[in-house]
Amino acid sequence: MLVFIQTIASGILIGGVYALIGLGMTLIMGVMGIINLAHGQLMMVAMYITFVLFTHLGLDPYICIFITMPSLFLLGIVIQKYLLNPLIKVESILPENQVLMTVGIGMVLTEIARFIFTSNYVSIKTPYAAKAIFLKNISLNLPMCIAFLIAVFFTLLLFWFLLKTDTGRAIRATAQDKEAALLMGINTPRITYLTFGIGSALVALAGTILLPIYYLFPDIGGPFTLKAFVITILGGLGSTIGAIVGGVILGIAESLGATYVAMGYREAIGFVIFVLVLIFLPGGLKSITKV
Amino acid sequence: MGKRLCVVGLSLCLFFLPFIAIGAEPIKVGIVLPLTGDQAKFGEIEKQSFDLAFEEINNAGGVNGRPIQALIEDDTGRPEVGRSVVEKLITKDKVVMVGGGYSSSVTYAVAGVCQQNQIPFLINTGSADEITAQGWDYVFRLNQPASEYASGMESLLTEVVKPKSVAILHENSLFGTSSAKSFEATAKKLNIEVVMKEGYEHGGIDFKPVLIKVKDKNPDLLYMVSYVMDAALLMKQSMELKLTPKLFVGGAAGFTLPEFVQNAGKASEKVISATLWHQVLPYPGAKEYYEKFVKKYNKDTEYHGAQAYAAAYVIADVLKRAKSLKPADIKEALSQTNMMTVFGPVRFISYGKMINQNKLPTYVVQWIDGKLELVWPKDLATKPLVYPVNWLKEWGYQ
Repeated sequence: MLVFIQTIASGILIGGVYALIGLGMTLIMGVMGIINLAHGQLMMVAMYITFVLFTHLGLDPYICIFITMPSLFLLGIVIQKYLLNPLIKVESILPENQVLMTVGIGMVLTEIARFIFTSNYVSIKTPYAAKAIFLKNISLNLPMCIAFLIAVFFTLLLFWFLLKTDTGRAIRATAQDKEAALLMGINTPRITYLTFGIGSALVALAGTILLPIYYLFPDIGGPFTLKAFVITILGGLGSTIGAIVGGVILGIAESLGATYVAMGYREAIGFVIFVLVLIFLPGGLKSITKV
Repeated sequence: MGKRLCVVGLSLCLFFLPFIAIGAEPIKVGIVLPLTGDQAKFGEIEKQSFDLAFEEINNAGGVNGRPIQALIEDDTGRPEVGRSVVEKLITKDKVVMVGGGYSSSVTYAVAGVCQQNQIPFLINTGSADEITAQGWDYVFRLNQPASEYASGMESLLTEVVKPKSVAILHENSLFGTSSAKSFEATAKKLNIEVVMKEGYEHGGIDFKPVLIKVKDKNPDLLYMVSYVMDAALLMKQSMELKLTPKLFVGGAAGFTLPEFVQNAGKASEKVISATLWHQVLPYPGAKEYYEKFVKKYNKDTEYHGAQAYAAAYVIADVLKRAKSLKPADIKEALSQTNMMTVFGPVRFISYGKMINQNKLPTYVVQWIDGKLELVWPKDLATKPLVYPVNWLKEWGYQ
């Protein structure tokens, strides 16, 4: 029983971080109708910013959030405004040339990171990195708990933003029907780059709070882009609640798989879910929750 | 006037003298190591040791007056890259022989290419048994094969720890599976029950699910085969889970590097590991090598470095003895090697299924107060083995 509870606890904690990664991607998906395949790479950029701030200025990674989120927000806006939006007007053989562009951006970011930091694995050591909280016999890693709480806080903040502010409403309107939103006087190009900025900021947050737990190298982005993709499909394209539930489900499923199937198949679990969802629940969780 | 000319002439001579001495065409030797990627730390320590050794060899006159030029290529820890860099070394740079070889997977790929091209390959680290068990006559191995890593530990287990059960965790790479399989056989031989044997995919964030399973089985020993980042994460998370077997045992590789202690912090304390070398071993030059390395690079070295340093001297010795620099002659000279190095005596023999394999004992080290101390065999130990260990106290819970 203890094994089971510990497994679920680990799964939920890591699931919180996954949810953040998935949220950013699903927001962008909802508004622009494209999958951002540079998502994990944007996270990698945020992690390197945190790493540099920590090693050179001694800034605590949790304080770095206030630097990484705005920087990635700006980077996201620049990418959308100057690299992706111009592509909408261009005629091409493939209709998804924006998606291809994100793949290219991802590669460029990875290679720039490799050029500056080499392929070495680096990690940061904080005094609390290996601290654990004990609830009876269940051990919870402190940075993991902090990460989970921060993830919950920013998710709530995002919901408040989407539900209560004008800009948030405009984003939702654009996601529902771009042309109708345009007719209602919403500046949709502005909304698209704003959304890309917010999505990037969310994944920056995920990267920053992941760094004290994990380590960092230039190729870290790829696996996380895939994870975000699985979560987005699982949650139903464009569904924010779906992304949160999907993230937590992926975290728990990976943990359960590692405990009860085999640690070696941990990564495979996500893809099994991916395939099963595509076959049996093509609309994702969205078709159940309707939001 | 004549005097001035004389001075100019003399100084010109002095200026060109070193160039005349080593002006002879250098002998090119290819070295394949992981200089970037997750195994870069191993590659770094080996490259520095190679550099140190070749510098000494060339300063002492090189090989019959010709210096050795080491072309060190980066395999990034990936077999396909390893293949392509060694192909480049052989076809484009025309190296006379190849050295290096860190991870087993890469070494295996490189060895295949060398055998195909009939270029001698002296392996100094890649240890999966399969590599020298293919009947490849151009492939020689200086270090102990993976199946023997834990052999030095057997007497420690039977005499001191007397464990009844063991859990084995290993990276599912060629080196990891090969080591785990042979430790399982060792455990069976020593009547230790293997309660769990599981591979993991490199690069996991959270090892807790598998560690909690270990905790549930409560084995006396936890044997782990990992590279450095995973080794540190495994120990840190064991600490968080208060997982307390009688001993944590590392199967060399990630568990002996200075970076292990830097990344795992106090979770590394009192962990024991198999090792292939320690600077206090009574081999001529071992201590001197350690001191030279520390002086030059201002950091510790361990068995990977010693392997590289010894390999450089074997290469120089072989090239000196070879009748010509043709691959067949170098191969011939390699098979007749019989010399002492800082890593121990080197002689390539055939035993078991392996050919061209050097046979050396292995040892046990323990991290005591952040220092890697040799604890077994007893007569060579730098510090007595700390056992039993109160882990909770060690980790600051008590």
